[in-house]
Amino acid sequence: MNDMTQSPQGPGDDDRWIDRMLDEMADLPVGEVPDALMSRVLADADAMLPPPGGRVARAPWWRQFVESLGGWLAVGGLAAAAATGFAVGLGGLESIGVNVPWSLEYESYYDGTGAFDAFGWDMEEG
Amino acid sequence: MAMALDTDPQTDDADLLARYALGDAGAARVLTVRLTPRAFAQAVRMLGDRAEAEDVAQEAMLRLWRIAPDWRTGEARVTTWLYRVVANLCTDRLRKRPRMSVPLEDVSEPADPTPSVEARMQSEARRDAVRAALADLPERQRIAVMMRHFDGASNPEIAQALGIGTEAVESLTARGKRALAAALKGQVSALGYEEG
Repeated sequence: MNDMTQSPQGPGDDDRWIDRMLDEMADLPVGEVPDALMSRVLADADAMLPPPGGRVARAPWWRQFVESLGGWLAVGGLAAAAATGFAVGLGGLESIGVNVPWSLEYESYYDGTGAFDAFGWDMEEG
Repeated sequence: MAMALDTDPQTDDADLLARYALGDAGAARVLTVRLTPRAFAQAVRMLGDRAEAEDVAQEAMLRLWRIAPDWRTGEARVTTWLYRVVANLCTDRLRKRPRMSVPLEDVSEPADPTPSVEARMQSEARRDAVRAALADLPERQRIAVMMRHFDGASNPEIAQALGIGTEAVESLTARGKRALAAALKGQVSALGYEEG
């Protein structure tokens, strides 16, 4: 039996008296489960018993998809291979003179100054 | 009714539930023997009333039978799911209870150490106050505190039940107990303590 009349003293006492209260509740004898309760629970189970061969829930679609590919390890490998393939593909484009997206710069993409010069507008204003 | 033995101790709860979903009445019997006493004990501790605890345990088990066909093995433990259902059903009942039909201040400290009617009333009032304070905690704090103190659960067990990291359990439990202490602070003396 816990002594519930001790005074809280010093740091951490909040915890100790709360601990004692909770422990006192935990120590309460619960007693036997009434047979009537067990009977009612079983009766409910019988009443709700699915028919023989009833269904069992299937895994969600994303889990089925991952499992169909061979699990998370396989999906990780597949993702790594796809990323590598994408990078290699872009590298190949660069080697034949096509600018890959990360090498494009504003100046080379749109040279406005050159276009104005071509029309001779700078001459007219000068 | 003699139904105390788990006749299939090797089989996992989730497997038994899957068998029940396929129409196996024997699986229901094993699950009833295995899980109903736990649900009942938890409800008695939370509610302090055996009749109410019976209702809660039956309702929680009913929900288990209902969810069986949709149970997804591997996503949660049956015992953890049931623990939360019982805790929430008890909390709903505790929140609907009138608070403190006998004010704690009116229950004086017994002079005689043998448990008198007054002493028993004070103990019961103390437990009611703790139950009410527990019911007011956020769900995760409440479950962490209850699992730790009522079931002696370890940090990894609590972490698994709540789906959090083991390192977070200590702070969750500590916050729960601090909130309990704050809620009960003004009643320390009446609860059987002397304020320091």
